[in-house]
Amino acid sequence: MKRLILAAGLAIGLMQAPAQAQTYPNKPITMIVPFAAGGPTDIIARIVGEHMSRTLGQQIVIENVAGAGGTTGITRASQATADGYTIMMGHMGTHGAAPALYPNLKYDPTKDFAPVGLAAGTPILIVAKKTLPAKDLKEFNTWLKATGDKANQAHAGVGAVSHMTGIFYNSLVGVKPTFVPYTGTGPALNDLVSGQVDYMADQIVNVVEQIKGGAIKAYAIATPERSPALPDVPTAKEQGMPEFEVSAWNAIFAPKNTPADVVTKLAGALDKALDDEATRKRLLDLGGIIPDKAGRTPDALQKLVVAEVARWTPVLKAAMATAK
Amino acid sequence: MDMFSNLALGFSVALTLKNIALCFAGCFVGTLIGVLPGVGPIATIAMLLPITFGLDPTGALIMLAGIYYGAQYGGSTTAILVNLPGEATSVVTTLDGHQMAKQGRAGVALGIAAIGSFFAGCVATLLIAALGLPLTRLAQLFGPAEYFSLMVMGLVFAVVLARGSILKAICMILLGLMLAQVGTDLETGQERMTLGLISLSDGIDFAVLAMGIFGFAEIIRNLENPETRDVVRGTIGRLLPGKEDFRQSYMPILRGTFIGSILGILPGNGAVLGPFAAYTMEKRLAKDPSRFGRGAIEGVAGPESANNAGAQTAFIPLLTLGIPPNAVMALMVGAMTIHGIIPGPQVMTRNPELFWGMVASMWVGNLMLVIINLPLVGIWVKLLKVPYRLMFPAILIFCCIGIYSINNSPSDVMFTAFFGLFGYIVLKLGFEPAPMLLGFVLGKLMEEKLRQSLILSRGDFMTFLDRPVSAVLLVIAVAMLVLALLPSIRKSRDEVFTE
Amino acid sequence: MANQDEQAGRAGSGIRAQQDFVAGLFLAVIALFAIWQASDMPLGTLRAMGPGMLPRAVAVMVGLGGVILMVSSFLEEGPALERFHWRGPLFILGGILLFALTIRTAGLIVAGPLSMIFGSLASDEFNWKEAAIFAVALTAICIVLFKFALGLPIPVIAFM
Repeated sequence: MKRLILAAGLAIGLMQAPAQAQTYPNKPITMIVPFAAGGPTDIIARIVGEHMSRTLGQQIVIENVAGAGGTTGITRASQATADGYTIMMGHMGTHGAAPALYPNLKYDPTKDFAPVGLAAGTPILIVAKKTLPAKDLKEFNTWLKATGDKANQAHAGVGAVSHMTGIFYNSLVGVKPTFVPYTGTGPALNDLVSGQVDYMADQIVNVVEQIKGGAIKAYAIATPERSPALPDVPTAKEQGMPEFEVSAWNAIFAPKNTPADVVTKLAGALDKALDDEATRKRLLDLGGIIPDKAGRTPDALQKLVVAEVARWTPVLKAAMATAK
Repeated sequence: MDMFSNLALGFSVALTLKNIALCFAGCFVGTLIGVLPGVGPIATIAMLLPITFGLDPTGALIMLAGIYYGAQYGGSTTAILVNLPGEATSVVTTLDGHQMAKQGRAGVALGIAAIGSFFAGCVATLLIAALGLPLTRLAQLFGPAEYFSLMVMGLVFAVVLARGSILKAICMILLGLMLAQVGTDLETGQERMTLGLISLSDGIDFAVLAMGIFGFAEIIRNLENPETRDVVRGTIGRLLPGKEDFRQSYMPILRGTFIGSILGILPGNGAVLGPFAAYTMEKRLAKDPSRFGRGAIEGVAGPESANNAGAQTAFIPLLTLGIPPNAVMALMVGAMTIHGIIPGPQVMTRNPELFWGMVASMWVGNLMLVIINLPLVGIWVKLLKVPYRLMFPAILIFCCIGIYSINNSPSDVMFTAFFGLFGYIVLKLGFEPAPMLLGFVLGKLMEEKLRQSLILSRGDFMTFLDRPVSAVLLVIAVAMLVLALLPSIRKSRDEVFTE
Repeated sequence: MANQDEQAGRAGSGIRAQQDFVAGLFLAVIALFAIWQASDMPLGTLRAMGPGMLPRAVAVMVGLGGVILMVSSFLEEGPALERFHWRGPLFILGGILLFALTIRTAGLIVAGPLSMIFGSLASDEFNWKEAAIFAVALTAICIVLFKFALGLPIPVIAFM
């Protein structure tokens, strides 16, 4: 009996072994997600990865390697063999803000990767406790300026999307409120609902139902157009703050020097996934933004990374310097 | 009356053949991963998410919820059989549960855990149905200050857990607090006590510490003492609890259910406190507290009920407010969003079949757990007959794989080895690991809440006394500490000096 | 009976609870290490606690606990220090380390038997044949269970 199990195990194991062949892919692809399972990046990776697996004819296995604001997982993925069997889901933090936040970063977002394409982003909203008197973004900004450091702004830890975008927003308004750090969006949102803290910036998927249910207020969404998930929330642009446009984007990267035909194949599968109706619906239900055809290409992603690093570095460096 | 029509709707959804099957599948997988040390519900739910794409949202959630409470239950099995707590909530179960197993009463311990959990699950289901909304408001009373005071109370529980010297227990709690501070500082992003290691920048994982100081240290210690090594040498005794066991257990089950339900509702993983609180209470109320830690059945019945009750009422903030109280619930949010349902205050009115179907399925799931687990008790107990020289390499490999799979990281496995050595030294020096683990679990929350409270009060410590709920909690904590210390102060003057 | 030798050696020092003394020393050393590690972190103020405040406060308390234990070990009778063995820690922890080192480079098919057989050496009832058969069989079960039934991304064969 034991021998039988052993033989079966070995046989299954051997089937997994890569037989050298010309066609990519001929074994499962590992996609490293640098965050814990269940977060927005992980969910987007799983939704998109599921459809890409069907196109490629090989399973995309999601491997969550969380730690240090996502840089642990990206560091590991960037050092993997560049054969297309290890790819990663990068993110606004890992490929935009990380150089400013982590001085010892072991990779350069603009140089050490072969970009595949942008997958989906989630818009950022400015939300506040429901008892705040301000009626719109202008009044809110006035209130912020008048309140100064007596205002309490929640965020989900240094390097979190809510932290980075919150700093960005404050720098645009020109205020320095008191930061109240939490270990995640959940606890922060809880204290926002119960009115312990005044406001925060967060991704739409985390707050959409609380806004609809009236538990918190939303002052602005940082997209060019209103979100179909929250048609009543005006954009920052409508309210005279067009420069507050930010979304937490997620994009697929391969390690540097991955063969061009492999990248093309992956990019094609991603493109097809983002055209698929069921996949689109899942992403849109999240409040996600799906890039248009032109925005999904490897070149567009490379440009985005360069632009994001340039945008975040000065804002975050200035904020971190004053924090110390 | 509303509640009954709602529950009727729920059962009409939960009792379809397909949903019963999904619930069974979830509970079965959950029990399996719960029994395997280290493999937590988070990894499993994440893996199964894509499989649920093809299901309707209600069915998918019923299955995933089944995995969650199945895992909670399965974790107790490992805690009782091999002294390995898979989750923070099963740490206290090891104290008396494993002792019972060593005395040949593993079956009774497993049985009472199953029955206590089932009862607690039934009550918690009713509670969610009847009082879900008002209870949410209670949870909203808890700001950072209240939370901090609650954690202080929790630390006092840890003192009471001590089997030997109180001073040594306090030292272990402090050591746990210290380990909890390893990692990136929340506020400034600065790395603290990480020795420059990247793998420590997010702190020490609970499972890494628990597997090390409980699992591996225990193996090393067992190998040194051949007489305690084979967990069951003599007769196994009866498989299921008898009349006397029930007589001793029914009150602890009631009390545990009550405490666990209340703490489960609190945001920020208040549920971890449930089993500790229940254990403390039973030890306090017992006529002969010295039986605790030596295989007292109340020490299994109370915490296990609290554990399961808390696991279920933890759904209340998720379902009514859309705020996940812990990592598993955060993953459930993810699962719901993938199916196009974003949990929030309106789920109850907009998706009543989903909401009530899920509530009803919890009761069904609890029944499933009893059906799955009672027959398994016999198998588990037989497993204990495997000679230890084969048992311990098996525990070793399961732990290694489990730890590895948390972050797919070999360095986590290495840290577990380090904590195994640490745990061995600590055991040799006459310390108890359980208070350290509680200090560790509470430490992270405690620092976060302390700093948040002081930021919000702009540095005023009076905030903890000005706020009534917080003040009451602190008073209870101080009173309990005094009660715990009094006997040892009375004992001898020498010890007064050492306090 | 190494204990007696040690006790005899220490009899003159007046330590009456050897285990507590070493335990206290152990805590004090850890506390000093933590204080040293935390020494370059800003303390901050109560209103805005720095990252260093709580670690240092807790470390000082741990150290204090250690000192009290050491002092009390002179005043009160207590158990002698238990003897430390090397066989268990060496093979068990060595087995775990072998697993950590080989899981990504060679895969579970190597890491499993290697760590289990090495770990088995910790028992004085070790038997080559039995340990090897058991380790291989259990590895096969683990592969089926974790990789295929639960679908965890564990490398099974990584060296080819």
